Amino acid sequence: MASRTDNRILLRKFLLIALLMFGFAWALVPLYRVICEVTGINQLVKAGDAPEENPVAGVPVTLDFDATVQPGLPWQVVPLVRRVEGRTGEFIRVDYEITNRSDRRVIGQAVPRYLPAAAGPHVQKLDCFCFKEQAFEPGETRRFPVVFVVDKALPSEIGRITLAYSVFSLPGREP
Amino acid sequence: MATVEDSAHLPHDAHGKPGGWARWVYATNHKDIGTLYLWFAFAMFISGGVMALAIRAELFMPGLQFWQPELFNQLTTLHGLVMVFGAIMPAFTGLANWMLPLMIGAPDMAFARMNNWSFWLLPPAALLLMLSFWVPGGAAAAGWTLYAPLSTQGGMGMDLTIFAIHILGVSSVMGAINIVVTVLNLRAPGMGLMQMPMFAWASLITAYLIIAVMPVLAGVVTMVLTDRHFGTHFFNAAGGGDPVMYQHIFWFFGHPEVYIMALPAFGIVSQVIPTFARKPLFGYASMVYATASIAILSFMVWAHHMFTTGMPATAQLFFMYATMLIAVPTGVKVFNWVATMWEGSMTFETPMLFAIGFVMLFTIGGLSGVILSVAAVDVQLQDSYYVVAHFHYVLVAGALFSLFAAVYYWFPKMTGKMYSEGLGKLHFWWSLLWFNVTFFPMHFLGLAGMPRRIPDYALQFTDFNAISSVGAMMFGLGQLIFFYNMVRSIRHGKEAPQLPWEGANTLEWKIPTPAPYHSFVEAPELKAGDNGVILSMQGGEHH
Ligand code: HEM
Ligand SMILES: [Cu+2]
Repeated sequence: MASRTDNRILLRKFLLIALLMFGFAWALVPLYRVICEVTGINQLVKAGDAPEENPVAGVPVTLDFDATVQPGLPWQVVPLVRRVEGRTGEFIRVDYEITNRSDRRVIGQAVPRYLPAAAGPHVQKLDCFCFKEQAFEPGETRRFPVVFVVDKALPSEIGRITLAYSVFSLPGREP
Repeated sequence: MATVEDSAHLPHDAHGKPGGWARWVYATNHKDIGTLYLWFAFAMFISGGVMALAIRAELFMPGLQFWQPELFNQLTTLHGLVMVFGAIMPAFTGLANWMLPLMIGAPDMAFARMNNWSFWLLPPAALLLMLSFWVPGGAAAAGWTLYAPLSTQGGMGMDLTIFAIHILGVSSVMGAINIVVTVLNLRAPGMGLMQMPMFAWASLITAYLIIAVMPVLAGVVTMVLTDRHFGTHFFNAAGGGDPVMYQHIFWFFGHPEVYIMALPAFGIVSQVIPTFARKPLFGYASMVYATASIAILSFMVWAHHMFTTGMPATAQLFFMYATMLIAVPTGVKVFNWVATMWEGSMTFETPMLFAIGFVMLFTIGGLSGVILSVAAVDVQLQDSYYVVAHFHYVLVAGALFSLFAAVYYWFPKMTGKMYSEGLGKLHFWWSLLWFNVTFFPMHFLGLAGMPRRIPDYALQFTDFNAISSVGAMMFGLGQLIFFYNMVRSIRHGKEAPQLPWEGANTLEWKIPTPAPYHSFVEAPELKAGDNGVILSMQGGEHH
């Protein structure tokens, strides 16, 4: 039959196992890494598909910037550059300056248009003031960046794109 | 003879019970500690239940009615943690404490004083979890799985949770070692391993699982802690770490953990069903082997929780087939329970009702598990309410129902009183009905695409959510029947006969009822058959 010392020996053994398992949890970190390396499981980029030498070797494209305001609205919208000679696949940034020329607080929403319309799906905007409504204090002027990429799937017959914004007031929303 | 440290051998403890609060604070008697565990687990069950009802109240209709999303997330997180580590696991440990020595003829648990520690670590840990609701930033809100990078952010509630998990881990490892040593070293002569009751086998194998994986959980939350405060980047991609690594280590603990909550339930129904079917357990040896193989397989399936993390197809296939494989030994067990009932002369007292309810509903949960194990299907269902339905079928109708079966079954042995059979039956039918009303519609919600862990939802999910919320409130209400039945029966119940169940034939029923405070101070000589059935007993002294 079991004696007091038998119990103690077993207790020590199991405490040791518990400690080893605690260590095993930490050992799993390098272990997983090694397994992933050996089997190539976690390799998101394989040796063959190295990034392109020049990520921006796209085709030239001319970009015109414009803005219109509906008659009777208090906005003034001005692109700070009128034209950019860019390439497809290249990040392009232009700034727009928008002024509220009234003495009221107004809320506006800009809506982009593309010419030709077929270019629209290929202009990938990363940042734009048209993403949300903008509130303006009376007489306030603010500058907004527009950041975008013209993707490389742009049909080759399109060499020139006009990006035009219209700004609308959102009357119901004014305080 | 078999030795228990620091209990039966200490003179102050050898005669009768110490009185007052000291009896409980300094408790070393396995029955006292078992009682403490069970009441603690019940208190946690109620606390976790209140959180569940708070969750269901918010989900009764779309929109935000009661809680802000932040608090809602804290509620789901703490509900899971409290139920898993505060209610289910301690309840099983408490039952093992109470019944194991009686079932295998041991005088007490092997390490009586360590046993006291195992229990008394629990209340401070629970307190930390509860207090964390009131610290700045509130309680942990990353889900009970505490996934990085959510868990590496967040306020000090997360630190309290991590600390609580450390304490709970130490407690359950100590409790598990106690169970293993008791079962391996303190069995009475004649009680061989292959004669042990299934409940002893299940507790033994569960204890092995706990010793193997609770330290892994402690390890991974420690990594979260060092990521939070000590500048490591285990799970921070910006620092060269990998958040998916967290999931791998967590689920290496997590899947065995779900069997830590299931195997003891298997053990309980394997005692209850033969008693009320008045037939020996069908296929005892295959039950033992099935339990062991489930335990071993449970280490090889963890990534079925991670099918959508971008694993390569070969890994998905491996974990898919390994998971399906677990259904085989599980199926063996279900078959054996049904075969035990087959042509038995069954009666349907409350423990049997809960055991049969367990078999039926656990099987539904197992089936939805097999559906989830199909990687291609799981990609749709991952993190949807379908998963919530699955694990509540195996945990509420599984683990919890088996616990009710056990408490009703052994209530006379523990207290010397009978519970009210009428209230017990009411409790069962009430729970059965409202459990299904609560959780069955969640399958439909999941299939329709409702994500889990959200405080608000799209309109088309309204009806099923309303049904589910009503079910949950009623289910919760029903547990008061249980509470009332227990308290009233302990106080004013009828005296229980020595053998309240005609078909009960394991060792705990061969000693006086209620069990004497010091049972088997001298080991009996046994002749035992399968599943702990006692053929003859000589000697064995109690006082
Ligand atoms: C035949 C047996 C079983 C199979 C095949 C199975 C399969 C699965 C699978 C594939 C998932 C992952 C679903 C997902 O996240 O998309 C899952 C989740 C889960 N299972 Fe099971 N399961 C089985 C039995 C059990 C048992 C017995 C329990 C507990 C007593 C359990 C508890 C859980 C829990 C808690 C989760 C969700 C964990 C979480 O994400 O929070 N399962 N099961
Ligand atoms: Cu699992």
